[in-house]
Amino acid sequence: MPILEARSLSKRFRRPDKKSGFNGALKHLVQRKYKNFTAVDSIDLEIDAGESVAYVGPNGAGKSTTVKLLTGILKPSEGTVRVMGRDPHTERIANAHDIGVLFGQRTQLWWDLPVEESLKLLKHMYRVPEAEYRLRIERFDELLGLGEFMPALARTLSLGQRMRADLACALIHAPKMVYLDEPTIGLDISVKDRLRAFLRQLVDDGTTLLLTSHDLADIEEVCDRIVILDEGSIAYDGPISELKARYITTKAVHLILDGPADLDALREKFPEYEWAAGQAASEAVATYETVRSTTAEVLGHLTARLAPRDLSLSEPDIEDVIRRLYAGELAK
Amino acid sequence: MGVDARHTATVYGRSLWAHFRSVVEYPADFWVMATTGIFWQIMSFGFVTILFQNVNAVGGWGYHEMLMLVGFLAVAAGSPALYWDGIWSIADQVADGGMDYRITRPAPVMPQIATLHIGLQGVGEVPLGAAMFVYGWIGAGVGLGQIPVALLLFACAAVIQVAMYTIANSANFWVKGRVPVFGFFLVEMQNEAMRFPLPVFPMAVRVLLTFAIPLAFASFVPVEILNGRASEWWLLGPPLTAALLAALAVWIFRAGLRSYDSAGH
Ligand SMILES: Nc1ncnc2c1ncn2[C@@H]1O[C@H](COP(=O)(O)OP(=O)(O)OP(=O)(O)O)[C@@H](O)[C@H]1O
Ligand SMILES: [Mg+2]
Repeated sequence: MPILEARSLSKRFRRPDKKSGFNGALKHLVQRKYKNFTAVDSIDLEIDAGESVAYVGPNGAGKSTTVKLLTGILKPSEGTVRVMGRDPHTERIANAHDIGVLFGQRTQLWWDLPVEESLKLLKHMYRVPEAEYRLRIERFDELLGLGEFMPALARTLSLGQRMRADLACALIHAPKMVYLDEPTIGLDISVKDRLRAFLRQLVDDGTTLLLTSHDLADIEEVCDRIVILDEGSIAYDGPISELKARYITTKAVHLILDGPADLDALREKFPEYEWAAGQAASEAVATYETVRSTTAEVLGHLTARLAPRDLSLSEPDIEDVIRRLYAGELAK
Repeated sequence: MGVDARHTATVYGRSLWAHFRSVVEYPADFWVMATTGIFWQIMSFGFVTILFQNVNAVGGWGYHEMLMLVGFLAVAAGSPALYWDGIWSIADQVADGGMDYRITRPAPVMPQIATLHIGLQGVGEVPLGAAMFVYGWIGAGVGLGQIPVALLLFACAAVIQVAMYTIANSANFWVKGRVPVFGFFLVEMQNEAMRFPLPVFPMAVRVLLTFAIPLAFASFVPVEILNGRASEWWLLGPPLTAALLAALAVWIFRAGLRSYDSAGH
């Protein structure tokens, strides 16, 4: 049985239907008209225990709204959610013990209290036994470097410190199902690296993870499966490797030539490739489709005829694929 | 799954206690806030004292009775700052979606919100209010035998205040915006109206403040009972009002939580 199961899940928000400007506002006061806006549109999602799922999509796609539906914060307009067999909205207290939640945009730390106090309050709230609590704090300190700011007031933390503390808060009760909504937003590269390694470890230890992020490196390093959301509907759902296999159908050879690259001449000579300028004037980039020719063929062909001084290979990364998916360039 | 009362009490108590402990470590805020509370009560005392240099009675009440009233009001309305002040953050929590986290935790939401912070002005207000009340009590010649009744009345008044603050602030589940306008309105009204005995007001206002917005049961009626101006039957009023308002507060807060749809980020 999957640990999480959503069926035809939808969420509609009511939006004031008013024209802009003062007149519009005035009219709205009298008429009170509303329009329904569908943020999440009939999605089906199943997550098995131990999976690590990336949930991505452009701004406003409905990712955070989905997380709020899955965690029981919002009541679905339609459809059902089951987490370990429970409805997270109506059985929220029982469900709470099994889930951990982080919204990168805001903190759950008690603003006026030291970080340590927040963690202790959560310990009592989740009834974590003292010994387990100590063990986890030790581990978080080791992996996230919590110790240095445990005595600091939450409101005095830097963003990176706050995020690490919040992550500890979300995981203090060792939840089985963890939702992280943009846990790396605004962090510097070294903190991001640290966080990703920590999350990968978490997944390897058997925690089920749903992660949203606009940083695709997070996703590639932490997750195995990717779900792409677009305007409230799922546009792709499958292993990241498959997404690559399916959409990364081209490779490119970067050639450094003796003189400046003459693209028009190259296009005429080798019409079977797509030609583009490289970073240097002497660089030319030939893109070919992997179904039509093998890399060895292309290399043999080009080196024999152009005698480049140097060459290298590249392939589009997942970021390109997703960018094209968002732009609607790829068939769904 | 039902609410586990003991666990809820632990969550509530620990959060409150953590805030009091942090006061000891960061005492600057404490002194500023406590002084504000003390100053406010001195103003109150001055107001009554100056008033009585010009008149002999207000609505039939003498100087010491008035001090009892003003002191009782200060304790009843001021003490929730020490144990229910977080309720004033409903507006903020709704506006920026902070409520989200509380909903995902295994404890009722109301006590989590109520203990988000403490209002240290209460540390100044409550003892000074109590001092005024006791001074008035002695001056008015109320017997010591009334002490248990007084304690019961204080307890009821505290519940009434907490419930009223909760109801007024819960309006912000629907009225979006960071300012708890209804809460402010309630406090303003109570400060202005309730420091006078009700007989100074027209009948309509008296009925309003006793039965519609029953603030009278949190100060005026208790003091009337203590100084023997009201019949024993009135003693039923405060506990009944407290029970009713508490139930109403829980109901309204829950309705608010049901209509909560987080924030769009
Ligand atoms: N509480 C709300 N009330 C009204 N509309 C909302 C609310 N929450 C979200 N929305 C709307 O629903 C849509 C989806 O929002 P959501 O926050 O789920 O997007 P997202 O995918 O998380 O975007 P981002 O990447 O920018 O965080 C947006 O158009 C947003 O304006
Ligand atoms: Mg979002």
